[in-house]
Amino acid sequence: MRSNSMFAYNLSLAMQSFKRAPTLYFLIMLTLSIGVGVLCANLALVNSMASDPIPEKSDKLIHISMNTWPGDQPPDEPMHILRYRDAMKIAESDIPKRSAVFYASGVYARDVDSTSMKRFDSTVRATTPGFFKLTNAPFAYGSAFEKSRGMEVVIGDDLNQKIFAGKNSVGKTLELDGELLTIVGVLKPWVLRPLFYHVTEGRAFNLTDDIYAPLETAIDLGWSIHARSSSADNYSGVEDTRDKNAYYLQAWVELDDIHQRSAMQSYLDNYSQQLKDAGEHPLATRNELHNVNEWLTEKKVVDQKVLAFTIASVLFLAVCIFNASSLLLSRFHAAKFEVGLRRALGASNRQMLMQGLTESVLLGLFTGAIALVLSWLFLKLSVQFLPRLANIAVLEPKLLVLGMLLALVTSIASALYPLYRANRYTISAELK
Amino acid sequence: MLKMNNISRIYQSDTIQTHALRDFSLNVKAGEFVAVTGPSGSGKSTFLNVAGLLDNFDRGQYELDGVSVQGLKDDELSRLRNEKIGFIFQNYNLIPDYSIFDNVDMPLRYRGFSASERKRRVEEALEKVGLASRLKYLPSQLSGGQQQRVAIARALAGEPKILLADEPTGNLDSLMARQVMEILHDLNKGGATIIMVTHDPDQAREVSRNVQVIDGQLADFRIYAPLDRSTGKTVSAAVKEEMADA
Ligand SMILES: Nc1ncnc2c1ncn2[C@@H]1O[C@H](COP(=O)(O)OP(=O)(O)OP(=O)(O)O)[C@@H](O)[C@H]1O
Ligand SMILES: [Mg+2]
Repeated sequence: MRSNSMFAYNLSLAMQSFKRAPTLYFLIMLTLSIGVGVLCANLALVNSMASDPIPEKSDKLIHISMNTWPGDQPPDEPMHILRYRDAMKIAESDIPKRSAVFYASGVYARDVDSTSMKRFDSTVRATTPGFFKLTNAPFAYGSAFEKSRGMEVVIGDDLNQKIFAGKNSVGKTLELDGELLTIVGVLKPWVLRPLFYHVTEGRAFNLTDDIYAPLETAIDLGWSIHARSSSADNYSGVEDTRDKNAYYLQAWVELDDIHQRSAMQSYLDNYSQQLKDAGEHPLATRNELHNVNEWLTEKKVVDQKVLAFTIASVLFLAVCIFNASSLLLSRFHAAKFEVGLRRALGASNRQMLMQGLTESVLLGLFTGAIALVLSWLFLKLSVQFLPRLANIAVLEPKLLVLGMLLALVTSIASALYPLYRANRYTISAELK
Repeated sequence: MLKMNNISRIYQSDTIQTHALRDFSLNVKAGEFVAVTGPSGSGKSTFLNVAGLLDNFDRGQYELDGVSVQGLKDDELSRLRNEKIGFIFQNYNLIPDYSIFDNVDMPLRYRGFSASERKRRVEEALEKVGLASRLKYLPSQLSGGQQQRVAIARALAGEPKILLADEPTGNLDSLMARQVMEILHDLNKGGATIIMVTHDPDQAREVSRNVQVIDGQLADFRIYAPLDRSTGKTVSAAVKEEMADA
């Protein structure tokens, strides 16, 4: 009861203090919230870049790179893209629980039943069916296709919104680059940040795909636009690549437990040895397995520049705190008389400290609110300059909380020295 | 009520040491009205500040209402200040943007009283100084004398054991000073113990006891109202003579 009413009194004193020197407190809030806002915006970027997009099994999902290049000008490192026969060798292994072999492409899509001729530029993932369970793709309607061949597709929420206004479109037919494929599944909104299954080619922060098509069918249809490939042979089109030394497929496997990793490694090494024995593996055997986080690290998904900027913004925040602190010092100095008077009338140092801290906390809350708005603005602004940040410049709830906490901590930190000073005033000095 | 024994207070600056109080001893009983006089810079305010626990001291013992003060922690000192002492300053020291009510209420806030108890006490205290009708006024809307009466009400509201006043009429013209003195006398008749620093010999004569501070020491603590009138000598001269006689 007593401490409650003391708290209420301290709150009212804090509000009074703000009203007495509104400009000064506004400056302090602005100073601190710019510092917190910039840091928070940076942390939002780092958070998006550095987070584990599939924590429940990121250690069991393994990306495979191989070194089977047969021609001249071999790559320095094992390649993250594989040729068809290597990828199929992985897909047919029964060591992992499941696997996904895929490449990325693009098509123009429209609903065949639509009167409009408008076509939507859509990203396509041409994949084996294992992809959906491996990535925990969330289905809203229908289900995955079951074979790697068939005129069927799964579509993402975005495209379903655009073409079918978000309704259940299972059973509808899409015209994709002139071919008719039936929708068998529709995904829920699906955010993967980073897009772990495809972090290469600068796609780490792309959205999940619009269309998921059976791999063999996509190859047969010759869908290859936007696909990243390297080839040691000549070929006419993607449909002609199955027995060529054309590298364009990525392979992931999901292990039951991480101990199967070495079994998978030997399986691949055996395969390479067979190739070597047949004179088809001129390079050293280097089959590399990376789990999700290893793969994100390997591919430097966290931008070093952003990290450097984060350190800079921590320093900037420190400068803001010093600034706010000196402003507060002048404010406390001006309030010396009242501090002395309250002490003379019976307030203890502890009570004065609580009064000061209450003011700081309140200031911190206001600062936090402004800081979050500012960091949202900073993120918007940075997307203007760096459009590739668009999908990572997001303030997740935990960052809102972090921003608030940061604001509170900085506000209290700026008040520490002034409070310490105020606590050492001689009571009688200001009272005559 | 108040017992000081060989109190010393030394102000230490870079170059000089000032003995504001040296071996200062004084005993004030409950119900006394003590006037403290003495030349400027002699240590009167320092004594009052030490007595009011606004300033610490370097040596000696001080007992306030049976509580030995030395070695107490800040919390305990603040409690004593809050509950046992009412301080009245020369400059009133009211907070200018607080209403009269809020000014008087301020010490009660640190006492943990309920809102209704605080209201009762504030109104009662303002009643005693004749300002019950000015609750909502700001200090600047009152005369100096009225402001000092508000300050007295603030000192009274916590029902302290002892009132300490440092030249309470120093800023007031004689009429307003008169009103303030009458209030203090009324309070004293009602049982309050009061120690008041003053430069006004007339005020000093009115009270039950008079002490003089010279050079940080107590010069004389007899009731001396008739003394300087009859001899025509200053008090300190009288003291010197006495000391020479001894
Ligand atoms: N904070 C301080 N620091 C240093 N010296 C001080 C301080 N306060 C008082 N003094 C010195 O202590 C001595 C006593 O001062 P004090 O204020 O008690 O005198 P006073 O009797 O109240 O004088 P006045 O009648 O002018 O109010 C003076 O010499 C003064 O200069
Ligand atoms: Mg003085």
